[in-house]
Amino acid sequence: MQMNVYLHFTPLGPVLVNEEGQILASDMITQDKDPEKIARFMYELETGNVPERVLGFLASSLSKEYTLAVEDEEVARKISQSLKEVKVTVQPGSKVHRALREQQQAIVEKAFGISYSDYYRLVREATILLARWKVKEVAEKRDLYVAQAVNALDDVNKTINLFASRVREWYGLHFPELNDIVEDHEDYFKIVSKLGSRSNISLEKLKELGFKDDLAQKIVKAASNSMGAELTEFDLNAIRLLSDAGLQLYSIRRNLEKYIDEAMYDVAPNIRGLVGPTLGARLISLAGGLEKLARLPASTIQVLGAEKALFRALRFGARPPKHGVIFQHPYIHKSPKWQRGKIARALAGKLAIAARIDAFTGEYKADELREDLEKRIEEIKTLYAKPPAKQAKKEPAQKKFRGHGKRKGESK
Amino acid sequence: MIRPVKVVEHEKFPGIYVVEYEDGTKKLATVNLAPGVKVYDETLIQHGDKELRTWNPYRSKLAGAIHKGITINPIKPGVKVLYLGVASGTTPSHVSDIIGPKGVLFGVEFAPRVMREFIEKVAVHRENVVPLLADARFPTKYAHVVELVDVVYADIAQPFQAKYVADNADMFLKSGGYIMMAIKAMSIDVTATPSETYKREITHLEERGYKVKEVKHLEPYDEAHAFVVAQKP
Repeated sequence: MQMNVYLHFTPLGPVLVNEEGQILASDMITQDKDPEKIARFMYELETGNVPERVLGFLASSLSKEYTLAVEDEEVARKISQSLKEVKVTVQPGSKVHRALREQQQAIVEKAFGISYSDYYRLVREATILLARWKVKEVAEKRDLYVAQAVNALDDVNKTINLFASRVREWYGLHFPELNDIVEDHEDYFKIVSKLGSRSNISLEKLKELGFKDDLAQKIVKAASNSMGAELTEFDLNAIRLLSDAGLQLYSIRRNLEKYIDEAMYDVAPNIRGLVGPTLGARLISLAGGLEKLARLPASTIQVLGAEKALFRALRFGARPPKHGVIFQHPYIHKSPKWQRGKIARALAGKLAIAARIDAFTGEYKADELREDLEKRIEEIKTLYAKPPAKQAKKEPAQKKFRGHGKRKGESK
Repeated sequence: MIRPVKVVEHEKFPGIYVVEYEDGTKKLATVNLAPGVKVYDETLIQHGDKELRTWNPYRSKLAGAIHKGITINPIKPGVKVLYLGVASGTTPSHVSDIIGPKGVLFGVEFAPRVMREFIEKVAVHRENVVPLLADARFPTKYAHVVELVDVVYADIAQPFQAKYVADNADMFLKSGGYIMMAIKAMSIDVTATPSETYKREITHLEERGYKVKEVKHLEPYDEAHAFVVAQKP
């Protein structure tokens, strides 16, 4: 009868034992106690890849008359593919394997000459590292999806505006007064799609659609005194087609926003924490990906989205832009004009840090970054509380326009 | 804010505390292993040289089960736990508190998104936590890290969860060790009534040779949830 030899993996390397649990051979994959190497080894094992080193170790320490017992099927397949002469059985949770796990402390001390506390510390460090890698791996591939989603969001917004102005003009032939009363496009679409002709508009029906009391009363009053032309069901149906599409676009918009929010949580949690999901996604989209964004200097991030103004400044000596899309952040657009440039610079600096953390390490530091930023903004607000005194306007340096196209020393 | 007036150790379970407030209400709490760090919206209470974290039974099924009066709780100082489905770490952080620096918690979670939260909020601050981003349905994929444990705790809410829990316990649970399993009836089978689902999962554990010791329903803390404690012979 053939004897069983048990292959027991530890994060530090493979151990071979006999039926009695005596160690026959072992191989430590890293002598210098490097958690990164351990993490890489564990990653290989999980994916069913038995590293060359382990195969070599098995080939040199096994003789033919043994059957090798392992716990994982993929590992078994890989070993029997590479080492044709070795018989492999799969025995997850065998008595011997369980016993080995029970004495993990003694095993690692004997096989690798390392104290259990050292072993444990290394393993923990390696597992954290490995889990972070895998989380990042999943997120990495998604930055371009988020970028597309935010572009789609802009398309949807544009289309909503386009449809809304058409519907307002079209339905306005029948009920012109509604245009001024209902400012929100979605509300306007709702009235057209759900109620239709102004004779059908009543207080209860409006309330059912979620309109506030005073607004509903205004609409009803206007409807009864309207100067618009009559509308047949036949004509109304045509308007409704467009209005229904408008309502659907609103639902698409909400879903896209939710998707961007959730995806940004995985892709770039620090950027999301600092400036919110939509603006964050927009920056990734403009840079062409998270890693590209992470490689940009803060000064470029500050003017992303204002390329036209930037190159105008570079070419003809016009005044350079203070901010690109980051203007959309309330820190900037809610501040008085003369503070915006300074705040934009501070925000872009923090964004550059956040992007780098998201792209390369993946911890969560957004709260600290935001705290720092808020402190700086507070400082700006007190130091530059008043607008600067008007200076005599300096004439911009005159450069001659020499046609479009690339010139020496200009990128993009 | 109402101030706590008395802090006593739980009469049955070491490592768990009961905080009594001025108005007579009582809350469970554990000693914070990572002082100053909060994991969710719990409150931190300074008690002598220790910092306590209150433990909300509406957020944590283990706390709910203790409130409902389970008599066996194998999670105590110094034990090793294999925790399947750590999610963002609400209950695991308290388990980590209870088992203390001499214990180990192997925390398995499949969803990368919540794993990220678990790492940043729980794992990096607590030296007794080993995070594993892996699928609990395939225990051989993390068999090289996990040691033999005293408790397999499972909150994985999916069809055939008892099977996967038993698979893990077969590989990693000491004899005499315990399984603690939260069953969320709605996630397993929405068409069956909750009691049918509980029964099926419990029967499966028994067929696999585990002795079911206690079953507690978690109402009002969780709707249609049961908490099972079973022992490996």
